[in-house]
Amino acid sequence: MTNVTAGKPKIVPITGAGACAQAMRQINPDVVAAFPITPSTQVVEDFSAFVANGLVDTEFVTVESEHSAMSACIGASAAGGRVMTATSSAGMAYMWELLYVAASMRQPVLMTLVNRALTGPINIHCDHSDSMGARDAGWIQLYSETNQEAYDNLVMAARIAEHPDVRLPLMVCQDGFITSHSIQTMQLEDDKAVRAFVGPHKPYHSILDTDKPVTWGALDLQDYYIEHKRGQEQGMRNALRVIQEVSDDFAKTFGRQYGLFEDYRLEDADIVLVALNSAAGEIKEVIDEMRSKGEKVGLLKIRSFRPFPYVEIGQALSSAKIVTVLDRSASFGAHGPLFTEISTAVYNYSPNQPLLLAHTFGLGGRELTLRHIEHIISESRICLDKGEVGNRQGLWVNVRGDKL
Amino acid sequence: MSTLKNWQDLPYGGVIVEAGSAAKYETGTWRTWKPVTHREHCSHCLKCWEYCPEDAIILEDGRDSSGAARKFVKEVNYFHCKGCGLCVRECPVNKDGKFVALGFVRDEV
Ligand code: SF4
Ligand code: SF4
Repeated sequence: MTNVTAGKPKIVPITGAGACAQAMRQINPDVVAAFPITPSTQVVEDFSAFVANGLVDTEFVTVESEHSAMSACIGASAAGGRVMTATSSAGMAYMWELLYVAASMRQPVLMTLVNRALTGPINIHCDHSDSMGARDAGWIQLYSETNQEAYDNLVMAARIAEHPDVRLPLMVCQDGFITSHSIQTMQLEDDKAVRAFVGPHKPYHSILDTDKPVTWGALDLQDYYIEHKRGQEQGMRNALRVIQEVSDDFAKTFGRQYGLFEDYRLEDADIVLVALNSAAGEIKEVIDEMRSKGEKVGLLKIRSFRPFPYVEIGQALSSAKIVTVLDRSASFGAHGPLFTEISTAVYNYSPNQPLLLAHTFGLGGRELTLRHIEHIISESRICLDKGEVGNRQGLWVNVRGDKL
Repeated sequence: MSTLKNWQDLPYGGVIVEAGSAAKYETGTWRTWKPVTHREHCSHCLKCWEYCPEDAIILEDGRDSSGAARKFVKEVNYFHCKGCGLCVRECPVNKDGKFVALGFVRDEV
């Protein structure tokens, strides 16, 4: 194997995109096919330098579009390779058709998705409209608050996606610019330790095995399509268990423990905020501040959005009195996708029924400051005291012309 | 009894692990019209065999008037014939218009 350092983990200052490129170098995938798009560009840029400098054995396929990038990934995966890519926003939208193909063909393609607003109007900054739009495509989605989490999620990704009970593609999401371009210090694990943790890739009915010829991607009609989709759904259901198993093993190996979600000061919280990715960092800070003033507030930060851990989340929210969900994407004419999932979890699996409050924030990179979060918490308190959310339901945060 | 498998018994992702298994697939159930051979008018040019996307035109060995070995159209394999009508349309005898070498009739499935 090429140029593998053996030694201790290092504390390094690195961007979120750079951290994912490092994870890719350590994983040393067989094939990477990608087309650069802001703000995921640095992932592919750094990785192409590793290829040029001989630090990896990867076949790096430069393609003319994201549609081709995902097509090449699917082909390479069906050929038996471990395959990775990275994209954002419109890039992922251009992969749309193939996202479904990768999942339905059960090809465990691994992706770094740097979340960015979908075009209309053109915008390059963070929101979650790209990954939320793709939530039904059949990909496992892990969200990351920090650079460290993005790196750790990607190190765990192969073992989750390639697990024989799962065999599904997986995207590790992080916030465009907010983490992808911000330098944070984090622990970069030793190359050998990462490769040992990830382990070798086991091909599944490779099309290159000429002794056992197979057909991938055949027409599938009324007699079998739904059975294949049912099997795909089972892979997702199994993934809940596998994500936790791999996370536990990761904790044993590298010392950082992850769950399907993170509960921050949740046990006795009356007010619970729910969020994904980097916003969780600011929310934690405000929680600490408001806790010191006596407000019982906590955070539920989702790590695994697909599969969605309904039962566990319903239980985690069992003593909450109001749950305020912050969606960083809009489903026009409906509440945000995170809110609808949380509502499902609470309604079906929580013994108590807290008030549920939906807010949309941060579209196109609009900032969410500590002051906004404080305000959201005090508004939640008002709803709680009144015993109803009233016309606060569905308000957008930090939009000129609206009150919140 | 149905020979169709349950989802638990299928390989992942619709991969087909048996070479040539398409021959077992009954595309004949798709048919609403079916081609019928009229061998008395057929010139055995084999255009229908060439065009058929399902390989459903069955040939047989024979000899031409000079005694040389050649293939003749025998019949249609209705297990595979999906009734697309390509053979009927491409048949030069049909095109000529005087006779029908390959008829096309409503199928009673
Ligand atoms: S195309 Fe027509 S004439 Fe030619 S072999 Fe077929 S049925 Fe006979
Ligand atoms: S109708 Fe179509 S499938 Fe049937 S024999 Fe003719 S060409 Fe082949």
